[in-house]
Amino acid sequence: MTARSSVPAWRRYLHFWRHDVQADIDAELRFHIEARVEELIVQGGSPDVARAQAIEELGDVGEVRRDLRAIDDRIVRRRDRVVWLRSLAADFSYSARSLARTPVVAATIVITLALGLGVNAAMFSLLDVLYLRPPAGVPDPGSVNRVWYSRPFESGAQYWPGFDYPSYRAMRQALEGHAATAIYSVPQQQTIGGEAHDASAQVSWVSSEFFSVLGVRAARGRMYAKDEDRLGAPADVAVISDAYWHRAFGGDARAIGRTITVRKDRYTIIGIAPAGFAGVELDATDVWLPFSTFVRSGSMYFDPQNATPWWENRNINAFQVLVRPRTGANTAALDARITAALHRPELLYRPSDTANVARLGSIIRARGPGKTDQEFRIATRLGGVAAIVLFIAIANVVNLLLARAVRRRREIAVRLALGISRARLVRLLVSESVLLSLIAGVAAVLAAWWGGALLRALLLPDIHWAATPMHWRVLLFSIAIALGAGVVAGLLPALQSSSPDLSDALKAGAREGAVRRSRLRGSLVVAQAALSMVLLVGATLFLRSLANVRARDIGYDSSRLLFAEVTYDQPDSTRDAYLTRELRELAQRLQAAAGVSSVALTNSRPMYSFSFTAIYPDADTATVSARHAFPTFAVVSPGYFKTVGMRLLRGRGFAAHPEPSTLIINQAMAHAYWPGEDALGRCIRLGKPDAPCFTVIGVVQTAARSQIIEDPRAQFYLPMGRVPFTGYEPRTLVVRADPGAHATLSREIRRMVSDVLPGTTIDIVRMSDALEPQYRPWKLGAVLFTLFGLLALFVAAVGIYSSVSYAVSQRVHEIGVRMALGATRRDVVRQVIGSGLRTVVIGVGAGVALAIAAGHLVAALLYGVRPSDVESMVAVSVVLLAVAVAAALIPAWRASRVDPVTALRVE
Amino acid sequence: MSTPLDLLQGTLDVLVLRALSHGRMHGYAVAQFIRTSSDGSFRVLDGALYTSLHRMEERGWVESDWGISDKGKRAKFYRLTAAGRRALRAETASWNDYVAAVGRVLRAVPAPEPA
Repeated sequence: MTARSSVPAWRRYLHFWRHDVQADIDAELRFHIEARVEELIVQGGSPDVARAQAIEELGDVGEVRRDLRAIDDRIVRRRDRVVWLRSLAADFSYSARSLARTPVVAATIVITLALGLGVNAAMFSLLDVLYLRPPAGVPDPGSVNRVWYSRPFESGAQYWPGFDYPSYRAMRQALEGHAATAIYSVPQQQTIGGEAHDASAQVSWVSSEFFSVLGVRAARGRMYAKDEDRLGAPADVAVISDAYWHRAFGGDARAIGRTITVRKDRYTIIGIAPAGFAGVELDATDVWLPFSTFVRSGSMYFDPQNATPWWENRNINAFQVLVRPRTGANTAALDARITAALHRPELLYRPSDTANVARLGSIIRARGPGKTDQEFRIATRLGGVAAIVLFIAIANVVNLLLARAVRRRREIAVRLALGISRARLVRLLVSESVLLSLIAGVAAVLAAWWGGALLRALLLPDIHWAATPMHWRVLLFSIAIALGAGVVAGLLPALQSSSPDLSDALKAGAREGAVRRSRLRGSLVVAQAALSMVLLVGATLFLRSLANVRARDIGYDSSRLLFAEVTYDQPDSTRDAYLTRELRELAQRLQAAAGVSSVALTNSRPMYSFSFTAIYPDADTATVSARHAFPTFAVVSPGYFKTVGMRLLRGRGFAAHPEPSTLIINQAMAHAYWPGEDALGRCIRLGKPDAPCFTVIGVVQTAARSQIIEDPRAQFYLPMGRVPFTGYEPRTLVVRADPGAHATLSREIRRMVSDVLPGTTIDIVRMSDALEPQYRPWKLGAVLFTLFGLLALFVAAVGIYSSVSYAVSQRVHEIGVRMALGATRRDVVRQVIGSGLRTVVIGVGAGVALAIAAGHLVAALLYGVRPSDVESMVAVSVVLLAVAVAAALIPAWRASRVDPVTALRVE
Repeated sequence: MSTPLDLLQGTLDVLVLRALSHGRMHGYAVAQFIRTSSDGSFRVLDGALYTSLHRMEERGWVESDWGISDKGKRAKFYRLTAAGRRALRAETASWNDYVAAVGRVLRAVPAPEPA
């Protein structure tokens, strides 16, 4: 109550302000009239005349009353606001002072909340980029669509935005006049040569319509035109991003007209994109090249043998298609048009493909229809996990505040007795937790700042992020959840401790009063234990999935393999023959090196690249599986299978000097072409239907072609030196060696190659490193679930500890009585731990039920383990109970030290 | 005595502030002060006076409380705030300027026409 205010203090507690305002006005006017009448009578007037004159002098009384009422209502409203704000400020400063008196509790609460909030803010900053933020620099991203097509995948129908060129051509024709279309390849890392000062760039091949569909104009120079992007007759031009312009050319205006080389081809820079625009993928694009230059001699798709051009190749099918419908166009009608176009007979792989549906969806990848990438899905689940961590943290804070409120019960009782309203008391207590959570919120924003970047690095490390992690939405989200958490965490204890029963409880004595509250505290511990259980079960499931995925036989002993690819910077046919001879010799010499068990040669690095050509087997190729086989091949030296660790299942391997016209196929191919029959001795013609026969002499196990988890892919192997066409000379050394020797060997190989083959580039890769990204989804799930799970376990352990020790402190008297009556210390310890365990056992039970119920959310992300895995549940339960016992141990020990005499003297 | 003049709203405010500059008083006392000190030159409706008081309270120039009048009756008293005092000084100054300016014009003699 401030002295400055002129309104009597008691008046503020009147509930009928409005009525009061009117009464005051009337009283004031009545006083005026009476005083005037009195004066006029004194001057000699009769009472009636005097009254009439007084009223006349006042003017229109009704109008005056209305005016005054309007003014006074405004005054009262403003005064209420000021009073409210002032008392709020008073509450906060009171809270700050009282928290400063218990710094340990305050710090514990802030740290607990900051952990919970920080995890959420960081998670949100990632989800924001994945799901909410449209690509930067696109003027109207909502009007541009990505085309999605549902196709039967191994795990059921899925929408996927990848297309081959023939499909794109059909869609473009179908949309002619209704929408503008563009095609592009997702950006990929390329080495840039020529006049650029930065050799590393993300390159995307985009059709000339790409920029106009997105509405992006060149900031300098120009974008390329339609006639510069003709299939088969491309212009060698490039557009670069503003960021790359600064990185590689220092922002020099003369960059336009300079040349850069990509995959050994030269391109002239003709335009610079506006600042901020970096393509429409999460991955930032630095260089845009005409789509028609996508396959040139440097590309893995380049096939000098094949007569049909690359854009008719239906195996290159990861192009993205963008559509800008004309204003007012009916999206459903456009969906129907492109679906019909994709159902043309020549585009169908099989008759049942007419069930596939195309849809115009969001340009934001994670918001496409149907299922999304594994990483996106994991990110969403982790958002849920983060929310659970926050919930556990809030439960802990509620527990701490409850204990605090009970310690302050005398103060609260005094305030209630002095007539403070319950609402005001609740506000006072809530202001405390809001203050704490706001401090925690600031910490959380900082956590989101670097935590968001950390999460990005963990979750999607290969992406050269086009967007920054911080955004106003992230800030807003952090502040909102901090406030929300503060109110939630403060409200429960505040309502409890301000309830009228409290005074009754106080009258009855502190011990009885504690029983009801400990029930709430108990259920909080149950909830914490249950949620920790869920997170830890999740962690276990992901750890087991990771182990299962790693244990999977992909056909290669990946941990032992080292690949060394040797290439000349410029293709040179005269030197090629020499290179082949030298590599053979190198392979021989490497056999003798320390730690090496065998060496082989291949033209394509396993699980990185492959070759393909048309094949004509002497079989009924009309079978469904054969039409879908798309066999790919590799040219290998005789020792290849032994070196990589692939098992020969039937027939024989290649001899040291292979016979001509032989090949070895894998089981998947044998199964696709000759199901239920023997593939050995069969004839396969390569390239043309009338080419000479190649005889199948062996069948090897099916090794993975590009993914560690994929359907069995048909592959065949041709012996080195016996390949009927040029361009497939082995350039990659495959070294099988002890993993510990890999580092030394890499140096050794590098030295040997540069000695014998000057002017070559050598690229050495360990197979395990190359495959690591593919294990990432499981690794990531395992790491983050474990991290969050342990965090939750720790917070829950603190909760168990504080609730048990609080219970002990409340029951000192009772324990004293028991001990006085002959209970031993062991009895006391057993009883205290038992009471702590009981709540946790209930929590574990609830956790198992929750984990099973939530299992389907992660089922698709697991491998080789079911969400309801019994072993995982049992293991986690044991851990949780052990932690509960450990957490209860200290208070139990303290309880056993209670001295009966002191305890009984306490009250 | 000539016909009483109608007062402009802003002018009434200055008069009320001036009345209150003598100390805390109720609305009726303010009315009396204006009536007697102007010798009845102004015709002020008492209602307008109260509107002025309440509006200035909203503006923060005056503050009010309930008290007991000389005759022992419950009455609403008004008092100038610091802001009210400042407003009175400013209004008085500008009123004097205005009066002086009008006076100068009324006293002025037309200048001779330039030859």
